Amino acid sequence: MKTIRIVAISAVVMFGSMVMAQEPSGAPVNLEKTPWLKGVELSPYPTNLTPTLPLAIYLENGEAIPATLTEDVPIVVVADTAIFDSDAPSKANDQEIPNPRWDASTAVSWYFIDWEKNKNFNASATPGLAANQMVVMPTTPTGKGAVTCHMARRMRYDAPEPGRSIVSYANSSGGRDVRVLDITPPLCGLEITVKDGKSGSFWPVEYPADKYPLPKTANVYFGGQLFGAVDKEIVVEGLTLGDSMIINPEQVTIGVAATDQLTIRVIGGDNYKLDNAKVKFGICNGAGGEPSPVGPINEETLDLSKITIPENAYIYIDAADTTGNRQVLFVPLNVVK
Amino acid sequence: MKKLGGFLFIVAVLFSFAMVISAQQEEAATEEVAAAAEVPASVDMTLEMKPDKFVMPANFRGGDPDRGLVNAVEDVFYEQHEHSILYKEDAAEVADGAKFEGDPNITWDTKVKDADGNFQTVSSVNTNMAGNGGKFFAPGEYQIGNGGARQVGGAEGAEDVTTGNEDGTPGTAGGENTVEGATPGAEGNPSAGGSETVDGSLVGENGETAAGGAKTVTANQAMGVLVHDVTSPDMWIAFQEGAGNIDMATTEQELKDKMLEKIVSNLGRPFSSKAEDYEDASYVFVDEGAADERDLEPWKKTARLSVAGTLFNAAGAPKFETKVVESKPLDQEEMTSQIHIAGGEKSALKGVFVRRNVPFIFAAMSVDNGDNRGKPAEVACRIETADGNEVEKDGKAYMFRIPNFPREEYKEQPEYFFVSKALDKSGNLTTVRMPLHIVNIQAAFEGGRNK
Repeated sequence: MKTIRIVAISAVVMFGSMVMAQEPSGAPVNLEKTPWLKGVELSPYPTNLTPTLPLAIYLENGEAIPATLTEDVPIVVVADTAIFDSDAPSKANDQEIPNPRWDASTAVSWYFIDWEKNKNFNASATPGLAANQMVVMPTTPTGKGAVTCHMARRMRYDAPEPGRSIVSYANSSGGRDVRVLDITPPLCGLEITVKDGKSGSFWPVEYPADKYPLPKTANVYFGGQLFGAVDKEIVVEGLTLGDSMIINPEQVTIGVAATDQLTIRVIGGDNYKLDNAKVKFGICNGAGGEPSPVGPINEETLDLSKITIPENAYIYIDAADTTGNRQVLFVPLNVVK
Repeated sequence: MKKLGGFLFIVAVLFSFAMVISAQQEEAATEEVAAAAEVPASVDMTLEMKPDKFVMPANFRGGDPDRGLVNAVEDVFYEQHEHSILYKEDAAEVADGAKFEGDPNITWDTKVKDADGNFQTVSSVNTNMAGNGGKFFAPGEYQIGNGGARQVGGAEGAEDVTTGNEDGTPGTAGGENTVEGATPGAEGNPSAGGSETVDGSLVGENGETAAGGAKTVTANQAMGVLVHDVTSPDMWIAFQEGAGNIDMATTEQELKDKMLEKIVSNLGRPFSSKAEDYEDASYVFVDEGAADERDLEPWKKTARLSVAGTLFNAAGAPKFETKVVESKPLDQEEMTSQIHIAGGEKSALKGVFVRRNVPFIFAAMSVDNGDNRGKPAEVACRIETADGNEVEKDGKAYMFRIPNFPREEYKEQPEYFFVSKALDKSGNLTTVRMPLHIVNIQAAFEGGRNK
């Protein structure tokens, strides 16, 4: 009899252990590879009846979302999902839900994910749209992005005990992969230091931010003793951000002596990817159009005594991003002999 | 018996082998099915509040245990956890042969239910962590939502990132999203609006597809949280003396209207800290305090008592004084609080000092954080004798003809007390009981102020 018991127990234990080995929820978590699970003590498998409903995202007019969106250009997107149906779903993972009924309205969230930075942005809320609609304006250029929508709606179903009920959530989410084209030129400036003298810097700031329709505009800030702007920056407003940003001599001038040595450093960058190979700076003759360099290009130190400075001299910064957007900014140079 | 034992042992072993074979066959069959399966657009997720002593029972404060909301209290730190097969190391459970390309993108959303039953976003935090913590700073019904997404590649369907319409016909790449005047694309890059190859895959930088061949898979889950109010309501009490020739009923209504407007616009805080702004009426303010005093944990809660005007000292000198007062638990089990201001000789609030033969009126209002201090309510208040009997108005105002202060000079005169009580819907209480002193100073009716 004892043997029978041992054998029976052995069989149960063996059977049980085999079932356990197939249960993945007990698998150890490697926090080095999944650091986002740090401290999480929860199974990934729902134990209550919580249906996941398909969700498709379209444009407002019913067409598919373009695979390439353009930075700062809003689109109206629509989510198609059964979460707005009058009847709550009756199945969750092929299990029947007893007497399902909605218990609250739907909570909706839209995001734009920049996968290159693994960062998301809330879609702008626009009044007057239906619950399943949203205006999405991608403000960050990216080669890998996605428009995603997440919805949840509280529902209730009958509990096994008579007269009692259980609450769970119907969930519906989906995404459309897109890329976002950069249409903003770089925002580069220069930091200039006169040897044994004054220093200063200037830089453009896109203003208003995320402006659309084109053209983009910017304010150019000048700060430092070189510009007589120690306590407060000088701001030249409303320049068209592009390849012909010209500061007039009556606005700001870089005043230096003919014997000065200038140390120049590029500051700023692009909202996506600056094409470093195309960044150029130096002294040029006149402003506008293609810069006509005078003296060396991209030299960190400029010895003015070795350069023949023209009467209409400018310091320029010419930059382009990898998409091809270009910015050329000219600042008057007044060399006192 | 031994034979039977041996037989059973063999049966058990064979049964176990059979189960293993069966399981393997099922696994193989599943693999076959999975191999043909596409990467799903979304997967399941779980979400729970981490058990904590401040996660209240389902029937907390008499609530329906089947309500399905987690009972919590305001101003206490809570931790939430969520999980999904999307967050695992291996994507095999998402689809056979699938691979995760990068880390998941995780966002925690907190929404609050508005008066119309709709959920409005309070915060949306992109933490990229499956655990999250924080406090609910105001009572109400919340919905915590977790939205997760991850790029999944390597399986069938993972390259489904084209612009094609749902019916499979080519889409309009660029479509309405093109920009006139955008800088033409640089070498190897598409111009504004993008371009699409014949097979539908997008050409991006360096000739790669837009999403690198991966597909964004999403998951989300929600949890309802009912956050209970553990903060006592704010209370304003105003006293106003009247000149002899004015209609005190009108004055009383004007005073109430002024309080209604100011208590909401100032979120329960005193509308001024300058004594000269309280010439018309004197105020007692009991509120949750300045910004750094608000939203303290229930066991650290305080309130701020402020008295302003000329009626809180015997000499009628204008003043604005303020101090922190204690908030005490009212009911440990229900987690309700009470602020009680007991005025008197030893208190910061000595009492209210009115002049004999000068009519005065008073009113009290309260706002509560339970409704974001948006709905002022009139508060029960009265003057009573030491034994609790209410003192009635003398016509349209209160007026006392015989002084009772200083007490040592008027021992035979009755003591009077001003009492008020504000109770919020959750049972949190603010009460004031302070002496009402009638001082023997001749009236200056023409001014209407006790200068």
